Amino acid sequence: MSARRLGPVSVAAAAVTALAAESKAADDAVGQLLAKIKDKSDKVRYEGISSAGPVGAAAVKPLVQTMADGEMEVARAARRALWNIVRYAGRPKARKESAAVVKELLAALADGAPVNVKRELMWMISELAGDEAVEPMAALLKDKDLREDARMVLQRLPGKKSLAALREALETAPEEFRPNIAVSLRARGQKVAGYPPAKLEPTLQTKVQVLDAAALAEAEKGAKEAKQSRRRGKKQ
Amino acid sequence: MNGKMRLNRRRFLAAAGAAFGAPYFIPSSVFAAPGRPGANERITVALIGAGGRGNSLMRELDRSDVGHEAQTVAICDVDENRLANSLKSYEAGVKPYRDYRYILERKDIDAVVIATPDHWHAVMTVHAAECGKHIYVEKPACCTIEEGRKMIEAVNKAKVACQVGSQGRSQPEAYMMHRYLVNGNIGKVSKVWAWHYESPSDNNPVPDSDPPPELDWDAWLGPLRWRPYNRKYLPGSFRWMMESGGGQIRDRGAHVMSCAMWWMGADGTGPATVEAKNVVFPRQGVWDACVEMEVTYEFKNPDWTLIWAQKGEKTHPDAPPAEERSPDENQISRPGYGAIYFGDKGQCHHWGGDGGTWAEKKVRQWQPGPGAKDVRKSPGHFEDWFEGIKTGAKTIMNIEAAVGVANLTILGNLSALLGRKLQWDQEKYTIVGDAQAQRLMSRPQRYPWVF
Repeated sequence: MSARRLGPVSVAAAAVTALAAESKAADDAVGQLLAKIKDKSDKVRYEGISSAGPVGAAAVKPLVQTMADGEMEVARAARRALWNIVRYAGRPKARKESAAVVKELLAALADGAPVNVKRELMWMISELAGDEAVEPMAALLKDKDLREDARMVLQRLPGKKSLAALREALETAPEEFRPNIAVSLRARGQKVAGYPPAKLEPTLQTKVQVLDAAALAEAEKGAKEAKQSRRRGKKQ
Repeated sequence: MNGKMRLNRRRFLAAAGAAFGAPYFIPSSVFAAPGRPGANERITVALIGAGGRGNSLMRELDRSDVGHEAQTVAICDVDENRLANSLKSYEAGVKPYRDYRYILERKDIDAVVIATPDHWHAVMTVHAAECGKHIYVEKPACCTIEEGRKMIEAVNKAKVACQVGSQGRSQPEAYMMHRYLVNGNIGKVSKVWAWHYESPSDNNPVPDSDPPPELDWDAWLGPLRWRPYNRKYLPGSFRWMMESGGGQIRDRGAHVMSCAMWWMGADGTGPATVEAKNVVFPRQGVWDACVEMEVTYEFKNPDWTLIWAQKGEKTHPDAPPAEERSPDENQISRPGYGAIYFGDKGQCHHWGGDGGTWAEKKVRQWQPGPGAKDVRKSPGHFEDWFEGIKTGAKTIMNIEAAVGVANLTILGNLSALLGRKLQWDQEKYTIVGDAQAQRLMSRPQRYPWVF
């Protein structure tokens, strides 16, 4: 039967029904995925992780929430499942899916997750996003805990907008963070005056001392005695 | 080095130097052309990464034919306990450091041995080259495609000798395999099937925690993005972290596939496609490197297939059993990995592929006749490196070849992570038609551990 014969009201009703069915299917898929992720068995959780990819954007928010679950392995399973969604959505010719996942990741990032969860979300975003992620990342350059990750994500995001955000940050970021920004700009092929990287300037001190011949002999003697003592212990 | 080792001239000098409070050594470059020691000069060496593998490498160097030409003057580690313990294995006067950059700024040090977890290899190699140090760096060379490119650029620009630790290329039976293959004993080779047992799973996962006081966790992470400490990340278990070690395909793949690329004459080439199948990831814990995987690399012009098959607890179920050898022969101590070469006139195989490489009997027994082709024979991995330092000759596992092999391991893991086949364009040095995979060819680095 053609749509013309059904009339406009019937077509609209059919569309609503189809959408409702689709939405229910998505809800079911998310529900099933979460049930597996929260299962006590690592085998069942792994099934959830492995099949998460096609569930897509609808699962992002509940999985982000589960990443903060008090049960360590459930939280880890949620994180892995979400990574699989990101990797699946990033496949060639899946732009709509990818955009939907990025939208949900950005929303979750704005929702106030724990800092380590946010970090994870930022790196997920770095694999898929375009201009839409630039402003949120640029805003995180002001967050002392997350600014280094934000800087690295901006470095990875393609396009002029992310480059402009890095250029602006070079002018506005706290002085001590500007060499970091300069590194990202240089990695993007930009010329930056000043702010040379401190990459070859050693700073970390050890408390371990050089051993002179006497100290070395003492250490060797101690090691020998310890070895003998272990041998005696074994014999007893 | 340790007390059991011989006290030779250089140790006597080192000990004497320490006794007289001389903190620094005279580098070989004082006596010869800059960066190139004279024939009779010792090469001053520093170890970066003084763990099990690093100390073992220094013992290997000491025992090698060039051991008497080397003088260890400094060691470095970000774990104070390991550093202090390791120091006892060396002669008096060897200087300990937490920060490798102190070593790089010392003008009296000619060369560095880098035996850190993999995620540090590229940054340290680039920095060492920029400071004019000759480099021995453990395999696999790099963790990303971009890292490898930067390593090649830095080493070539500095004109330093760089040897990457895929030692299979320097083994006597690897030479026999190579010679056997290039003389057409199995005809034209169309397939190489490399087997390996699986990467481990973590059956006793633990929560993240504060790092122990002796460990500088921030420095251990270095260029990697920050994350909380978990004791399952290290020391040797960095191997099972995708971002650092990357599993068996990178650890042993960097050996077995190094032999394949060398013997197939494929250094400088790359696959057209890479596809990981039958991938199994760990079910729990923080380790995330593939437990099982089968990666197929298709090469074009000439056409051949390389397969990395990782499955089974001690060895792959389809792997050839270890050959029994007479007591006077070099015994096969690691039969759990190796490769079978399939030609149009037959096949042959070897076990191992690293510091232990064992060719099957017919290969060992084959005698080249008149007019047979010969192949490069390494005098030993350290010996070959020192030859490169002294003469400028290309090392047997030079940085270009090593990056080519590391790229195979990187692309195999990327295909596994993304769950799809990848197209690779060797000439353009890029993944084709997959924007996400292209982004993963590089990894922004945490400041100041940057190129």
